[in-house]
Amino acid sequence: MNSKVIKSLYKKEILDVLRDKKTLLMMIVVPLVLYPLLFLCSMYLASSIMSESTAHSYSICCEGVDDPKAMENFIFEKSADYNYEFCFIDSLSMNGLPEDISNEEKYTLALQNRLIDAYIIQTTDDTDFRAVYEIYFYSSDSQSNTAASMISDMLKEYGEYVRVKNVSAAGLDPERILDSVKYTFKDLSTHEETVGSLFGYIIPFLLIASVLMGAMYPAIDVTAGEKERGTLETLLTLPVKNIELIFSKFLATATVASGAAFLNVLSMGIIGGYFYGSMSAATDTLKDFSIGVYVPAILITLVAACLFAMFCSALCLFVCIFAKSFKEAQNYTTPVMVVMMLAGMAGMLPGLELNEKTVWIPVVNVALLIVKLFSFKFEAALILEVLVANLAYSLIFVVIMARTFKSEGILFGDGSEGIHIIESRKDMKENQIPGIGDLILLFSVLLIVLMMAGSLLTIKFGLVGVILQQLLIAAITLLYGWYIKTDFKKVFAFNKPQIKNILAGTVMWAGAYIIMNIVALFLAMFFPESADAADSMVMSLLDNSNIVFILIATALMPAVCEEIAFRGFLFGTLKNRYKIVSAILITGIIFGAYHMNFVKLFAVGILGAINAYCLYKSDSIFVPMWMHLLNNSFAMILAVKSDWFEQYIPFLTAEHYSVPQMLILAVCGIVLTAAGFILFEYIGRKKNKAK
Amino acid sequence: MIKASGLCKKFRRIQNAENEKKKIINKNVEFYAVDHVDIEAGKGEIVGILGPNGAGKTTLLRMLGCLMEPTEGEIIITDDYDNIINDTSDKKRRIGYLSGNTKLYHRFSIREMLKMMGDIYGLPGEVIKERIDNICEILKMEDFIDNRIERLSTGQTQRANISRCLIHMPDIYIFDEPTLGLDIISSQSIIEFMKSEKEKGKTILYSTHYMEEAQYLCDRIVMMNHGKITATGSPASLMEETCTNNLRDAFLAVSEMGIKEDEIKGDEDEQ
Repeated sequence: MNSKVIKSLYKKEILDVLRDKKTLLMMIVVPLVLYPLLFLCSMYLASSIMSESTAHSYSICCEGVDDPKAMENFIFEKSADYNYEFCFIDSLSMNGLPEDISNEEKYTLALQNRLIDAYIIQTTDDTDFRAVYEIYFYSSDSQSNTAASMISDMLKEYGEYVRVKNVSAAGLDPERILDSVKYTFKDLSTHEETVGSLFGYIIPFLLIASVLMGAMYPAIDVTAGEKERGTLETLLTLPVKNIELIFSKFLATATVASGAAFLNVLSMGIIGGYFYGSMSAATDTLKDFSIGVYVPAILITLVAACLFAMFCSALCLFVCIFAKSFKEAQNYTTPVMVVMMLAGMAGMLPGLELNEKTVWIPVVNVALLIVKLFSFKFEAALILEVLVANLAYSLIFVVIMARTFKSEGILFGDGSEGIHIIESRKDMKENQIPGIGDLILLFSVLLIVLMMAGSLLTIKFGLVGVILQQLLIAAITLLYGWYIKTDFKKVFAFNKPQIKNILAGTVMWAGAYIIMNIVALFLAMFFPESADAADSMVMSLLDNSNIVFILIATALMPAVCEEIAFRGFLFGTLKNRYKIVSAILITGIIFGAYHMNFVKLFAVGILGAINAYCLYKSDSIFVPMWMHLLNNSFAMILAVKSDWFEQYIPFLTAEHYSVPQMLILAVCGIVLTAAGFILFEYIGRKKNKAK
Repeated sequence: MIKASGLCKKFRRIQNAENEKKKIINKNVEFYAVDHVDIEAGKGEIVGILGPNGAGKTTLLRMLGCLMEPTEGEIIITDDYDNIINDTSDKKRRIGYLSGNTKLYHRFSIREMLKMMGDIYGLPGEVIKERIDNICEILKMEDFIDNRIERLSTGQTQRANISRCLIHMPDIYIFDEPTLGLDIISSQSIIEFMKSEKEKGKTILYSTHYMEEAQYLCDRIVMMNHGKITATGSPASLMEETCTNNLRDAFLAVSEMGIKEDEIKGDEDEQ
């Protein structure tokens, strides 16, 4: 990379972006004008609502109250403390109501016509002869609503008053009888800590939102915007390497996004300072409150925000390079924004904490780091890891982008790589191959559905929930495929399998199974918690269930449904768009990542890749389905009937193997897998000869 | 000098086709946009590329301008001493590429844009300044060189576009329909520019739809259709071969020959 070229490109991008009104609007006007304005407006609104509700006088009626005058007097006296005013209206003084109806009907009519805001009717409870007050009001009318809630406050106090009166009438000490247990709060956390924890909830979300907003527009502008305006081809005539181009675009976007984040933080700081100033002038609770203790947290947050801005920029750019126009790019970035915003809320989730695992989850790690910083827990290693993770992810994206950007389909493309679902179904072309955008969208949706609905279903319905969850995956995938008129034969490969392919697949699986388990055992040595978490979740569901039912839920359903989504939609799309080796590898990685467990990532990833290979060779999705079924049912039977196996074939359920055993297993696995490869290649060659 | 041999570019295209059940489906088919083309242009030569829309002219010029990678074949670019240049960036430094698709940065002034490009070409600051003044004089841009490009007229924009190709003083110009959509005066200025550069010994490859222009300008004409070269030679020799007296008729004659050839080939295929 030539640093001079990058410098001039960077200068160009920054100048270009800063001269764009849309970006300026998002960057400067929104944080510096809109936020304070919103804040002031909401303050004004809140105070005006408050003054409105207290300044108003409410008209109410009482009916059947034993001693209406006494109650009226009580309410009059009390309402003076609360700053509200009640007018008691006599039914006789209401004009325009028919004479020949009962008082109650009159009140109802009066309430309907808003002559009064509420009315109270006293009755007596039939069983214990206590007084029952019924408050009639209109919840749809805000004034009536407030009147009713005020009356209920009054009645509560009135009840207290009556209670005290009755107890003292009986010659007892009302305080001892009525408040026999006394308690007070003693908060040990300092004001700074209390406020800090509040910050920890608010800041991550605001910061993530503002960085995203700041990154989105420049990212679209420098990629899709450049394409739309036709300057990309001009840029390509210059002696610029792809990586230089992408890197300078990335730097420029990250700069603007960090700038936006900084302006946002500044704006929030000014609002906070204003609030703090007005609060400390009004009350003296903030007297010993020092804002200086937040300085380290704020500084580290700023650094984290810059790195997060890099991550966001890389991600936004990555999505936008597939778009050929500004509008299309906006369509792509919106789902990404939603997913990231949701992840940004992680800081608000109880129980989720920054630790060795969450530190590697993008977006979530920044949110959790800020929570931690503002509760004054500084752990250098974790802070560093968050920063490194963000930097690493951004650079990975940049490198992938530089490779992707080489593709002429993207540079001069007709946009066939895009998201198809945005069009209406009747405008879709017949038998199309889904785009990369489609993949990103579908799998984001699947992930969200799985995280929200999936876990809920499993908790609520147990094994039936697992089945429902799997059906959901298949249904969403097939529906999406149907909607965009996917070429089902080409993408999903629902072809009749040949016996020899199934045999080859079985051999392949046997080898893969051994390799997977060795990898899993190996990783479990380093990440023991991760391995435990994987097992306990499923095992907890299995108690007292029929073995056939267990196998249907955990082996048959995943085999069918997950294969449709991963080997069907995902691999089917990739194999038509990329080189076959990359398609197989990407499928493996995504399939592994989908299991959301570090140990499984590699083990399941291997199975995913091998299944993809077998599908490619056999051209029938039923082959990987069969392998998946074999795999899951074998693992399940091992788990469920572990007692039996321990007794008869203890080798299979052992948790630790000696080094020689491991080596023998590894050799077996490799030999079996290689045999599978050879079988597939042999079958393939024979088929070609036949042609 | 620029020379290409056996140049090919394969694209994928979605095409309607009938499947076994006689239902129209979309098929992803590969086809050659440029099919084994040999082309050469030497010093002080203007080579015109003619052909109907979709003949593969733009793809060919994009490959020659190093904007696209050829699927097959190679492009040789040599410097003044006949040394072959291998690095793509170095090749681009010798080429001034201009087409209807190379738009300018609207939010920049011409001066800012030229400065930025000079920087990317790696020229020292003083040289850039000198050249900008020079270009400004040649193309008569004094009045609007500091205006933002979005505020320029079509003719002014086209001049700005040419100025972009001059900043690095290339030996080879590749122009893809440079006069398309311009009025007579603007297109004349471009024609004059090409002539003057030819006299300086520069190599010019350019495509156009305007036959008269090509007849007047070009030393050699290359006619293309369906990605293949159908005829090549000087305007005079092409007119002679086709027994016509202007290039327009010569072009039509060559196209008709092509259609007949296709039909004969089609018949053979059917048999």
